[in-house]
Amino acid sequence: MESTIQTFANVVIVQVDGRIDHSTAPAFGSILLPHVEGCAGDQKKLLVDLSKVNYMSSAGLRVLMIAAKGCRNQAGKVVLAGLQPSVREVFKIGRFDMVLETYPTVRDALAAISPAAGAIYVDR
Amino acid sequence: MSSSTQSQRTEALTIDAVAHCTEFAAAQARQAGFPGARVDEIELVVEEVVANICHYSYGDRLGNVELACRRIGGPALELIFIDGGRPFDMLTLPEPNLAVDIDQRGLGGVGVPMMRALVDQASYRRDGERNVLSLVFHSACRLGGSAQLA
Repeated sequence: MESTIQTFANVVIVQVDGRIDHSTAPAFGSILLPHVEGCAGDQKKLLVDLSKVNYMSSAGLRVLMIAAKGCRNQAGKVVLAGLQPSVREVFKIGRFDMVLETYPTVRDALAAISPAAGAIYVDR
Repeated sequence: MSSSTQSQRTEALTIDAVAHCTEFAAAQARQAGFPGARVDEIELVVEEVVANICHYSYGDRLGNVELACRRIGGPALELIFIDGGRPFDMLTLPEPNLAVDIDQRGLGGVGVPMMRALVDQASYRRDGERNVLSLVFHSACRLGGSAQLA
């Protein structure tokens, strides 16, 4: 699983590329979960870019739930961007749309959670 | 109605067993001409089923899962999961309440609704010392609409 980590102002963007299933979810967790630490208030926010993920099973949802709960416990925020249609449907089944905020694009997400980050964001 | 049966047996209930079964089921679905999106849906279900067998039927101990695939008319595929663990009927697991605040949600609980949303027909029987779970998948995608398992 390939990943890219970028920081713009107070937002850490974690982008993963590939399939998140039972066998790759541990790697997804290793990439994402360390960034939960310190997510509190406006100090640091976490944005997961899933635009390059076209398959996610419940094992991937579990990792996202751990991240969401971790941020919540610190009064922090994690949001998602770029869900592909198949992943969005899985989210609906699992009612994850009630757990995590989702946005069509990274730029949309940044506009909502940190205009300062949005102002300096450069799409790679 | 024409039918053919192919089966595969995993050696142990490790993380490889899940991948082994999903790859087998996906290959069978592709061979039957199912669209890619429906193949993904089948993989989602197979992953849930095998993971649940590992956890509930075998209690996370080692054991065997046999997955047989039968092509039936429609076109449709019947996937039959056979394991030798303790009696476990996945179809009777309670529907979790997912419409609650994040603080009240567990980490899992998505498997059962996923199966109910993506499978066209399901049945379970205890056959001697074995659990036999049959799931039928038609070729039409179930996501993207409001289809639910009857």
